[in-house]
Amino acid sequence: MGVITYDYNAAEGRVVIDEHKGHPGIESTTYSYARINDEMLAMLEIPRPSYLLLLLGFLSALGLGALCLSIQVDVGIGYSGISHPIGWGFYITNFVFWIGIGHAGTLISAVFYLTRAPWRTAIYRAAEAMTVFGVMTAGLFPLLHTGRPWLAYWLIPYPNERMLWVNFKSPLLWDVFAVTTYLTVSVLFFMLGLIPDMAILRDEAFRKGQKLKGMLYTMMALNWRGTNHQWVHYMRGYLIFAALATPLVFSVHSIVSWDFAMSSVPGWHTTIFAPYFVAGAIFSGLAMVMTVLIPVRVVFGLEGYITDHVIQSVCKVILFTSFIVGYAYGTEFFIGYYSGSPYERAIFYYRPFGEMQSWTLLGDNQINFPQIAFWLMVFCNVISPIPLWRWKVRNNLIAVWITCVLINVGMWFERFNIVGSSLQHEYDPAAWGEYWPTIVETGITIGSFGFFFTLFTLFAKALPPMAITELKENTEPPLQNPPKEH
Amino acid sequence: MSRFTGVWGSFTHLDATTDTIEQVRDKGVQPTVLSPCPRHEIEHALGDPQSSVPWIALVCGAMGTFIGFSFPAWTASDWVLPVSGKPIVAIPTFAIIGFELTILLAALSTLLGLSLLAVFDSFKNPMPTAAKRYLRFQRDRFGVVVRCDSAQAEEFAEILRRNGAEEVHVEKD
Repeated sequence: MGVITYDYNAAEGRVVIDEHKGHPGIESTTYSYARINDEMLAMLEIPRPSYLLLLLGFLSALGLGALCLSIQVDVGIGYSGISHPIGWGFYITNFVFWIGIGHAGTLISAVFYLTRAPWRTAIYRAAEAMTVFGVMTAGLFPLLHTGRPWLAYWLIPYPNERMLWVNFKSPLLWDVFAVTTYLTVSVLFFMLGLIPDMAILRDEAFRKGQKLKGMLYTMMALNWRGTNHQWVHYMRGYLIFAALATPLVFSVHSIVSWDFAMSSVPGWHTTIFAPYFVAGAIFSGLAMVMTVLIPVRVVFGLEGYITDHVIQSVCKVILFTSFIVGYAYGTEFFIGYYSGSPYERAIFYYRPFGEMQSWTLLGDNQINFPQIAFWLMVFCNVISPIPLWRWKVRNNLIAVWITCVLINVGMWFERFNIVGSSLQHEYDPAAWGEYWPTIVETGITIGSFGFFFTLFTLFAKALPPMAITELKENTEPPLQNPPKEH
Repeated sequence: MSRFTGVWGSFTHLDATTDTIEQVRDKGVQPTVLSPCPRHEIEHALGDPQSSVPWIALVCGAMGTFIGFSFPAWTASDWVLPVSGKPIVAIPTFAIIGFELTILLAALSTLLGLSLLAVFDSFKNPMPTAAKRYLRFQRDRFGVVVRCDSAQAEEFAEILRRNGAEEVHVEKD
């Protein structure tokens, strides 16, 4: 049976959900408990060669990153393109980008849980895993960027030999608190969601006589039996986690944005940065979720779970956030002009057109890296999602996937556009400079993608990529006397 | 020797389970129910039991807020670094630390709280070993466990059977 897609019931004026018939656009809401159990567990069986080949590809990228990382740490930060006046380059760009990728998971698992969006169920576990892996990847970069990662513990609030504490008024320290809190809460939220599913895996392993696996899952299930006492505390706790994680999602990228906005650098010192960064983070995070889950749907045959309705819903949020991001780009330029500040005007000319030597529309025609980043950012983040307004495009998996890959590219360049360009052109022309990344920085950037995708690929086979318990919760319960049709 | 005396059974259907719960509660006994996923129908049948996890989160979250403001204020006062005449104890900047610690402590205490409460409840409401080892409660079956003395066991077993229990087990000392 094909997947039924009802975005909207014109007669009712909304999507109609009948608890006893399931959601009209999500086929899995009509599946039995046993079917959901079996289909989810089948995904964890021995991988096919294509999976191993894919894993090898990601491991190779990770290996390249590790090699470049060892060179960077061994030789020192001078081996990167980071030099006066550009103190923040690829590493901080990667940090901001990966933190942004980590936003979709908590948004889907917490915000859409509180708003009871039914399409979140099939994708939230994978999105949460991406959050954890995204923040783990992001966390590597500030440490690497310091040049002496072995002294990272200096960031922890404890007094030094002269009883001098860390500076709690610094946005960089706020970032340490925000990112570590976000990582902790995301990991706990992810693990909490896994507990009932671990009990399913435990029982299944014992049923098949796999004692070793069963013992491992017994430890991970934390004595979960599914009693009403456990469920009542669990569900209440889960709701609190969702309620706590929701403001956290918005705070983390706001605080990351204040790393920039609290400084007096032209192009950074704006009040729009917090909402602009948050919208961008959700935008890129959702695009990454689709980039990963569309192949997962095809490979594992999950059309009944990640239905066209689910993809359409995510695309609508992507469109919405694309709109906010595009609006923020425009606002930045308008405020740059309207502020009357020559420094603000100069940086917003420099980003798209380069040096102001000739005052022509194309500047001096010497392309620099921020210019490339700017135009890629505009094309990928503002122009490429426009076709998603059409239902037919949102219903075309290949078109959606290509758009999402482009958005990921665009969002990386947006981060670079912010990080890289302003430092090249601050107030004093005598202190201007130019930044081009070195091979080592590029290799570490590729390695970060290898790290993220390796972790996700391993996750997809080691743990249930969908929340089995929640899929059951959203499906029609088995009834002896079903309610009569009305 | 089993610590459990009473009856337990497994059910295929949710409505049969909720009917059983209501009839067992009518006899003055609060059963323990096992289910593959949370169902509000079961909660209603059990009389909507409440959890005290939110109170734990509230208290620990408030502690986080207090620490988040007071600790930076103390460190700033301990070693005063005047910058441009700005306030030494700057509440708006400490709000960030206060907010993050509120979330962090509330989240950690929620997890700890729900784990401990679940453990306490499992001691208060022991389950028969056979029910613990029944491998379908996580998959597609509902379970009802009734603690009672040996004299009442047959009466509750009959309620379970009458409501269509797939299996009924009587556990006696």
